[in-house]
Amino acid sequence: MIPMSSHTADPTVQICRSCGGGAPLDVHFCPQCTKVLALGRHGDFFSFLGVARKLNLDASELESRFRGLSRQFHPDYFYNASPAERRASLERSSYLNDAYRTLKQPVARIAYLLELEGFAANASDPSRASKEVPPALLEEVFALNEELDTVRELRASGAPPAEWQARLALAREPIERKRAEHEDQLRALSEKWDAHVDARGPEEDRRAILAALKERMLERNYINNLLATIEREMAGSESLKPEV
Amino acid sequence: MSKVVGIDLGTTNSLVAYVQDGVPIVIRDKSGDGLVPSVVSAASDGTIYVGREAQRRLLTDPSRTVYSVKRFMGKGLEDVKDEARLLPFRVSGEAGGVVRIGLGDREFTPPEISAFILRELKRRAEEFFAVQGEIDPEVDRAVITVPAYFNDAQRTATRDAGRIAGLEVLRIVNEPTAASLAYGLDKRRDGVIAVYDLGGGTFDISILRVEDGVFQVLATNGDTHLGGDDIDQIFVQRLLDQFEQRGFAVHTDGVYSAEAVQAIRKAVIGAKLELSEREETEVVVEGFGLVNEGGATILAARPGLEYRTRMTRAAFEKDIRPLVDRTLGPCRQALADAGLAPSQIDEVVLVGGSTRIPLVRRLVGELFARTPHTELNPDEVVALGAAVQADILVTGNREMLLLDVTPLSLGIETMGGITSKIILRNSTIPATGSEMFTTAVDNQTAVDIHVLQGERELVADNRSLARFKLRGIPPMPAGMPRVQVRFQIDANGILSVTASELRTEVEQTIEVKPSYGLTDEEVERMLVDSFEHAEADFAARLLIEAKNEAESVLMHTEKTLRAPESKDIARAELAPGEHKRIEQAMAGLKHVLRSSDREAIQQWTQVLNDATRHLAEVVMNRTVQAALAGRNVDEL
Repeated sequence: MIPMSSHTADPTVQICRSCGGGAPLDVHFCPQCTKVLALGRHGDFFSFLGVARKLNLDASELESRFRGLSRQFHPDYFYNASPAERRASLERSSYLNDAYRTLKQPVARIAYLLELEGFAANASDPSRASKEVPPALLEEVFALNEELDTVRELRASGAPPAEWQARLALAREPIERKRAEHEDQLRALSEKWDAHVDARGPEEDRRAILAALKERMLERNYINNLLATIEREMAGSESLKPEV
Repeated sequence: MSKVVGIDLGTTNSLVAYVQDGVPIVIRDKSGDGLVPSVVSAASDGTIYVGREAQRRLLTDPSRTVYSVKRFMGKGLEDVKDEARLLPFRVSGEAGGVVRIGLGDREFTPPEISAFILRELKRRAEEFFAVQGEIDPEVDRAVITVPAYFNDAQRTATRDAGRIAGLEVLRIVNEPTAASLAYGLDKRRDGVIAVYDLGGGTFDISILRVEDGVFQVLATNGDTHLGGDDIDQIFVQRLLDQFEQRGFAVHTDGVYSAEAVQAIRKAVIGAKLELSEREETEVVVEGFGLVNEGGATILAARPGLEYRTRMTRAAFEKDIRPLVDRTLGPCRQALADAGLAPSQIDEVVLVGGSTRIPLVRRLVGELFARTPHTELNPDEVVALGAAVQADILVTGNREMLLLDVTPLSLGIETMGGITSKIILRNSTIPATGSEMFTTAVDNQTAVDIHVLQGERELVADNRSLARFKLRGIPPMPAGMPRVQVRFQIDANGILSVTASELRTEVEQTIEVKPSYGLTDEEVERMLVDSFEHAEADFAARLLIEAKNEAESVLMHTEKTLRAPESKDIARAELAPGEHKRIEQAMAGLKHVLRSSDREAIQQWTQVLNDATRHLAEVVMNRTVQAALAGRNVDEL
């Protein structure tokens, strides 16, 4: 018999608030009394949706799981139920929608996985944020800064927009190439992660892959900021400097 | 068990529908009309009129008749004061508070006016169910629809209107989503559909995926201040200018003549409807015409006169093109948010009366590169869908499910007047988001939170939703408390907030001050007030019925006397003095119809009926004779 305290020692069990019975984490209805379970202890987005903790997800499978679970506990089907059940269905649906929204987009999925596995950017290095230049981008950032200085001088001296815009377009190319490279790298790492999960690989591999993913994600954010800066300069705004 | 209904509370017209044996049906009045004009009029004796009768009073009592109240729901005075000058009724309110509409010497908030309309729909449904022989014909539960792009304040105002009308609002449903339900029920085909909904006052575009009975909204966008009324406004303004040029004093003290505005409006709307069928028409403003005054020809108000001007469809389309173009931006944005190209849309469904305009159909067809689906009645489809949703909620029918989204990002004000987004637009609802707060001063026990809706960066550019005050934070050094504020958007798209201090797990009390809404106490009070007026409303109903009867008899009499087939018979067969008696009865009845004296109206109706009895017999006999004359004996 599982103790009724909400702070149960076993982290893989949730307690039904209607009958006090226990249930595995990723179940949505109490096996004992069949009522919808309140969202107390719950699994992460992956287990909640019933998919593996992998980075390449079949889009149509995700959609159909989402639809199927929505049908199970959407508030519209609990209109005549007790207040506790209505609240439970509301909470559970909200969490489901959050899970679906996050796992639907590849980038959000990677960021969530990193957070789940303890490799979130903010958690470990709060000072890093987006202020430090990722080592892999030092060369590109340096070159870009030089170009930006030149462009600003040109603009200040009254040169025709076509001229400095052309320079900016040129400066943008290596950055965009870098971005495309990153997309490829993220894809490759995602596949590596999935293979690791399938093969139940060793712990140090797990950490290596996650660390690499985290690095690529930080770089990706930085690259996006650089591209945004270039866009702003193209439009003629002088107030913002690139983050160095 | 009492019945549940679905209600389309529209800008121009409202409808009520229910589900019978799995089929949604619009509830109609005795003459088969399903539409209730969203017009409310307050007579000087305090009687409230709703619907067709109120619509008539737009011309006879314009300063006490309000139309398109939906455009005022969830808004403050600052939002509406620009268009207030063209409105014949008074609009007022405290700064930063609810708009108040003045009709005669009474003042109403928009939810109260909407409640009058809802009460009329409720009554119509109850009468229908009683006639059907239902054991419990009472209607006290409804699903009410709103534009998808309505913000939190506008949705809450609609729900308040339902409560004031004595209805339990089961769900607030988005209009395009409701329409898609009706469409899906009809077609039973999976795919991606775009619902283009252009009504009297609002525009919505929603993109949905329909699969296995699940109607999932992918993205929604729109403009809550764009519709048929804006189209009308262009031409009303132009005609007012024309009137002014021709010597009519259209405004005194900066306020437009209510009679002129309404007469012009009626003419413009009539012409607009004609131009959907014809290439050219005339705008006929009744009660105004050119007269000779002191040697000059000027325009003046004269009963019986008409002011006419031509309008071609080509010119009409040129004038309204900018307005219709304004709908295309939201369409493109919705497609982008859904991550789809126009070619990936399987079907385009048109909703709302304004989609009958040929130009609208053409431009929508061009944008989506396909012919829009127009088989469903654009006026009724939303009410039908609402009825289906009501049925799902009450019967637990799991064949279909609506998964809707919140149309606007929800955020809170942070340092420097910036909005920090907590729940993004087009998030499937129900949705949650949370934010951590802490204190700035030692032993601070309360925190202020300003909640906003919108996509912009600056607080000033977004829509203020409400200000929350969190109290009961345990006294601690500054920066120590960790107050987690949890935002929940429910299936209605309406926000609620809870908060707790994480260290002590103390839940905070929250005081909500809605920016443009009513407090619970105010709603309660209005509900009580409405009971006081119930009796007066019943009397108003009897009066309306008497007037309808009288007008019907008058119309038949006049037709008989003037129609070519019958007027000769009348002259030949009527005894001397009989004709005069009929004319006198007609005059007497017309005179008394201008009043609200129900008994007098009924008496004069009886007098006219008596006076025309002989005439009716004679015409009937002659008609039968003529019919028989053309046949031979074998046919009889």
